[in-house]
Amino acid sequence: MDSNLVQFKKGVLELCVLALLARSDSYGYDIASRLSAAIDMGEGTIYPLMRRMQKDGLVSTYLVESSSGPPRKYYRLTEGGRKNLNAQKAAWTDFTRAVAAILELDLEKTS
Amino acid sequence: MNERDSFLRRLRSGLWGLPRSAIDDIIADYEGHFDAGRAAGRSDADVAASLGDPARLARELRAEAGLRRWEDERSLTAALGVIVGIIGLAALDLFVVLPVLVSVVSTLFAFLLLGLVTALGGGLMLPFAFITNLPGFAGDRLQAGLLSLGVMSGGAALTALCILFTIGLVNLLVRYGRAHYRLIARGSNAPLRD
Repeated sequence: MDSNLVQFKKGVLELCVLALLARSDSYGYDIASRLSAAIDMGEGTIYPLMRRMQKDGLVSTYLVESSSGPPRKYYRLTEGGRKNLNAQKAAWTDFTRAVAAILELDLEKTS
Repeated sequence: MNERDSFLRRLRSGLWGLPRSAIDDIIADYEGHFDAGRAAGRSDADVAASLGDPARLARELRAEAGLRRWEDERSLTAALGVIVGIIGLAALDLFVVLPVLVSVVSTLFAFLLLGLVTALGGGLMLPFAFITNLPGFAGDRLQAGLLSLGVMSGGAALTALCILFTIGLVNLLVRYGRAHYRLIARGSNAPLRD
């Protein structure tokens, strides 16, 4: 994979996880399988990230009994996580809009 | 031995040295992942391949644990943990950073030693007003005492400065380390799913 692209993806991974959890609480496997298809990353990447986010106070965990096997660990967005998501989302939207404007400018010139 | 067991075994051996509770916690996360994969009808081999390299995962988890520890307690062992963890990440540009780091750390260590020796020397001279006995020293006992005191506090200041600088340096290393986490690639034999 192009190393530039890897840096992009690494940067938005946390934002994507926050956005997923803002919609509904979720467990590791679910987050990993939804993101790995979209971002093309190893599913294992999600657990170090979740631990980091938990220690940063962005997410909290709780256990839910499952019908098969041991209880499942669910992640929930904390108040701090929600604020962080809003800030990151605003920054992302501003940034992509600015980049898109520049790219379109380029397109008009060449055509 | 199947893929699930061998993945978990390699992960566990890579996490060696972390607190037992932390290791169990991490292993439980990945066990849960395999269970959920089974429930979704995937084979253990498929899940293991999609997870990525357990050795690389373990290196990253260990490095993060080291960085965290430094943020919780500013101790010498925690600082060493940061350095060991970052070397474990084995980023490519480490070859550039390492020589610089080694020279900065050795210089720092030399200054620290100098500061300690100076402070100790001044402190030892103080009660005995030792310098009055040195040939060529024309002052009286009070001057000798003040001189010793000055040397001692100078040494202590140098030592304190070195410690402050070390803390700043390790904080910088923490940021360097965090910038070098990678997206762990799926295994080469992992099927692409949409």
